[in-house]
Amino acid sequence: MHELRIAEDLTAIVLDTALSKNLSKVTKVNIIFGQLIQIVPDIFEFAFIETVRNSIAEGAELDIEILPLKMKCLNCGNDFQPKENRFTCNICGSTDMGIIQGKELFIKSIEGE
Amino acid sequence: MEIKIMKNILDRNQNKADEIRNLLTLKKILMVNIISSPGAGKTTLLERTLEAIGAKFRIGVIEGDITTDRDAQRLKKYNIPIVVINTEGGCHLDSNSISKVLDSFDLDNLDVLFVENVGNLICPSQFDLGETFKLAIVSTTEGDDKPGKYPMLFREAVAVLLNKIDLIPYTNFNFESFNSDLIKINSQIPLLQISCTRGDGLTDWYKWIADQIVFSRL
Repeated sequence: MHELRIAEDLTAIVLDTALSKNLSKVTKVNIIFGQLIQIVPDIFEFAFIETVRNSIAEGAELDIEILPLKMKCLNCGNDFQPKENRFTCNICGSTDMGIIQGKELFIKSIEGE
Repeated sequence: MEIKIMKNILDRNQNKADEIRNLLTLKKILMVNIISSPGAGKTTLLERTLEAIGAKFRIGVIEGDITTDRDAQRLKKYNIPIVVINTEGGCHLDSNSISKVLDSFDLDNLDVLFVENVGNLICPSQFDLGETFKLAIVSTTEGDDKPGKYPMLFREAVAVLLNKIDLIPYTNFNFESFNSDLIKINSQIPLLQISCTRGDGLTDWYKWIADQIVFSRL
């Protein structure tokens, strides 16, 4: 459900940007999702198709780049990618962790003419 | 041509949330964003909490509900300021809806604002409301696999309340498995085991939340 709301916010940014850059057509929207963000890409794409309907971004391709989860061990400083949802350092075994990548919900760029 | 943007898609929500957080910090009000599945016991926890510490602190409640004001009706008897936000199908509250109702509260006469989010473990954890912190409630009847399945919430919350522990004998809830999954995701998080109907563990909860309220008044 929240996919629709996030698609609406994305569409607002896309159309504002297109307007300020005098684009007449948006052909592609490049976005980045972190792995921890619980968004289903298929549902999101479907929501996006609806939110850009009847706008200059109608029919724009949506490119979703998924960034894997990366954590930093706050005990030994090791940077690593945890397996599944086990946030334990693979070197020292500490569970004291900071997330350095995986919560992104970014619009990277738009393409158009 | 390609136009670089590189910004948070939920920028609008985030900006409004930051405004709310600044305002509440200025007014020294603790805002708790309570997140759980439907039926985990959010409203019952608020009932018990209002009975226990309602005389000691000035408490306000924002009730997020998809439709109806039934939760708010249950809290009416405590004579505290309550505002209902009906999301009309929306699965979460956002900072804009909170911002619109903040005016209904006398912010100069409030210590804590409890926000009962829409029952859902996924969407609400994505939207910053400007809260001081998120509080996760899980009940034993939902099963012991929730931390493993919804890591974002258990990573974002500052404490977890495990409710309905009196019902464990009637379910296949495995506490060791629940706790071990939770620690893997957030090793530092306090876990309070409670039963809002039988009263187990509630004294610890009242003390914990009272400490947080007092801390935010400093």
